[in-house]
Amino acid sequence: MYNSVKKYFKVLVLATAAQGLFASTAYAQDPGHYGLGRIATEEEIAGWDIDVRPDGLGLPEGSGSVSVGEGLYEAQCASCHGLFGEGEGRWPILAGGYDTLTDDRPQKTVGSYWPYASTLWDYTRRAMPFTAPQSLTVDETYAITAYVLYLNELVEDDFVLTKENFLTVEMPNADGFFHDDRPDVKNKACMKDCKDPASIKVISTIAGVSPTEHLEEGAEEESAGEAVNEHGKQVYKQSCAVCHDHGVAGAPKTGEADAWTDRIATGIDTLAKRANEGYMGDAGMMPPKGGNMSLSDEDVTAAVEYMVEQSQ
Amino acid sequence: MKNLSEEKTADLLKEIKTEAAELPQKKRRDFMLNGLKLTAGTALATSVGKVLAGEENLPPNIPTWQKTLGRGVVSVPYGQPSKHEADLVRRTVEWLTADEIASISMTPLHKQKGIITPSGLHFERYHGGVPEVDPDDHRLIINGLVERPLILTMDEIMSFPSESHIHFLECPANGGMEWRGAQMEALQFTHGMISGSEWTGVKLSTILQEVGVKPEGKWVLAEGADAAGMTRSIPMEKAMDDAMIVFAQNGEMLRPEQGYPVRLFTPGWEGNTSVKWLRRLEVGDMPWMHREETSKYTDLLADGKARKHSYVQEVNSVITSPCPESPAKRKGIMQLEGFAWSGRGKITRVDVSLDGGVNWQQAKLKGLVLTKSMTRFSMEINWQGEPRLLQSRAIDDTGYVQPTYAQLREARGTNSIYHKNAIHTWQLNTDGTVNNVQLG
Ligand code: HEC
Ligand code: HEC
Repeated sequence: MYNSVKKYFKVLVLATAAQGLFASTAYAQDPGHYGLGRIATEEEIAGWDIDVRPDGLGLPEGSGSVSVGEGLYEAQCASCHGLFGEGEGRWPILAGGYDTLTDDRPQKTVGSYWPYASTLWDYTRRAMPFTAPQSLTVDETYAITAYVLYLNELVEDDFVLTKENFLTVEMPNADGFFHDDRPDVKNKACMKDCKDPASIKVISTIAGVSPTEHLEEGAEEESAGEAVNEHGKQVYKQSCAVCHDHGVAGAPKTGEADAWTDRIATGIDTLAKRANEGYMGDAGMMPPKGGNMSLSDEDVTAAVEYMVEQSQ
Repeated sequence: MKNLSEEKTADLLKEIKTEAAELPQKKRRDFMLNGLKLTAGTALATSVGKVLAGEENLPPNIPTWQKTLGRGVVSVPYGQPSKHEADLVRRTVEWLTADEIASISMTPLHKQKGIITPSGLHFERYHGGVPEVDPDDHRLIINGLVERPLILTMDEIMSFPSESHIHFLECPANGGMEWRGAQMEALQFTHGMISGSEWTGVKLSTILQEVGVKPEGKWVLAEGADAAGMTRSIPMEKAMDDAMIVFAQNGEMLRPEQGYPVRLFTPGWEGNTSVKWLRRLEVGDMPWMHREETSKYTDLLADGKARKHSYVQEVNSVITSPCPESPAKRKGIMQLEGFAWSGRGKITRVDVSLDGGVNWQQAKLKGLVLTKSMTRFSMEINWQGEPRLLQSRAIDDTGYVQPTYAQLREARGTNSIYHKNAIHTWQLNTDGTVNNVQLG
């Protein structure tokens, strides 16, 4: 009795093993073979799947007018991209640049270069405004998209962009692209007397455009002596520069003494407290820790010290 | 005595600085170099105490580090490079971008001594900074035209069969600042947007088979969990060929800068398509044409038309020694070294010219020669202080020969930003210094 059970058990094990072996060779291609993970729910997918395609797939129900877009754009985008999409400082230009693609310095904008309006909708929704991505509602995205199209003279000022009329927007450079056809150059591996040595003209670099301090002997020792608040500088660049470098959202510009004299006079403790806890002043809203809550109080204080050093 | 010499040194330095300020920038650098050497010499000659102090570790003396015990195990639980290598860091060129968050930094190739870039030196490229992803709360969703839309945890991703491959990763804008002429005065800036690593992960085809791609499925959208919500459309042929879902780099989990905890990896293709912090894959019947495949990462040609879906990083190479950061230190026998790579396959040959491309000699390939990987080459030369124009020209197993600037500009103009893979020239001067130049 005992023996036969054992035998039976053995056979069973062998059969299962054989089946397992069989399964992993013959059915490796079958969906669900590994059985890992679980089926994603529609709700889970909907929360993340916000992409939009040129054929309009992915556009949610909604609408937004140029006029509503104007207000939103001026409040949330103009500080970097300029009131007319001309780009403040070195931030990207969004409008204009027509007929410049063959120029020496082409201006590639939404109007002059982008082949699809869907790209603007998709990108604005997923990545802008730069400091607060995925904060815009669907209707706000429609309105801002309409306004940026308007800045590019692609729609009239009374235009209302909707899911339904989206594909009617015509983009001037829609046919400006072709599929990769490289290799487009054919060099030969010539080995001897490949050109006339006398024809060679040596053209040097324009000096002073790339950082070279680290190439100089003794550079390390020198910069070590300066004792910059490295940690504060790093925190600043990571979490504060986005507003304070260029005065975005009313932030006092780092390095601009005028903007800082009165503030510095209140004392470093006050400044550090306000930077840590957030502060609403006449100039605008300083978010707690610049919006990066993973920073410690010490990190933020170091950044404040760095800003003060730079702005005296 | 000691004070006096220090005072003298300080004075001299001051003098050099004031004089240097009056020189044009380029000359100034050379002047500073000479000046500083001079200073060191003066200090050495006048301060005898210092000379001895400087030589106490040299034979016949026993070095100090041999006369005391060194530090014990786990004094540094995660090992760091020697403090004497502190200048070995990623660097950026600040004016390239408006801020540091949507920006780029480069790998110090002049000190890279193999085909693997240390993970901490891998070049960086972000469009919305490095997100701090908690792996326990990270999910990968695969949806769209699939039989079984899945949601996977990191543990589940890592339970699929995995593979390891050595490949380069290169930003298509590598060298893009040089289309109009030589600009960058260091190898790190002319070519440093490339790094090599061993990547470990699951083949994308394995994951796509697990979810079951519907017959209409021709493209895969990859989406990142960063503030840019980075997206790229990948054609199904690449997805089913060698694309991987990578979670480890050089034997450890990915660095945050490289997409921790999981990224897409598309061997040989422009770096941007290897979407980092991967959170979603969607299968569709056409490409999405998002910002990074229309506004950016398209190559504008001279006639105003632009190339799209230009994914492959074609053959490229550069001499890493000598270079501006590693000048020739002595006359005589010298090992000229460099890297070559191709996104289409293996490097089969590298030629080197010492005379600006008039005559060429075949260099030696060294170490591992792998597909879509950085590959070392070297050539022994006897340099007696002659001015030289050094070039390297690589060929891959498709027979493609690295082109000249003239050929590239003729075909594309100077505004295409991306995919510049021209033969590069270093000017080796009689004093051993090296400049970045282009030949007209
Ligand atoms: C703090 C500055 C800032 C603000 C505010 C801002 N952006 Fe941007 N924007 C950027 C930066 C930086 C980029 C480029 C990011 C990159 O390099 O990937 C960009 C890129 C863009 C682009 C793509 C440009 C191109 O040529 O590819 C569009 C379109 C855009 N922003 C729209 C908007 C809109 C709409 C808003 C307001 C809702 C907005 N931005 C607010 C900084 C900003
Ligand atoms: C989203 C934009 C934004 C970011 C990011 C930001 N700030 Fe500010 N900050 C502001 C604005 C706006 C003000 C001006 C508030 C006022 O005075 O009305 C300000 C003011 C300040 C002040 C002066 C406060 C005072 O009492 O006058 C300090 C100090 C400061 N910020 C530090 C920081 C530090 C440190 C960081 C990074 C950790 C940071 N900020 C990030 C917008 C920003």
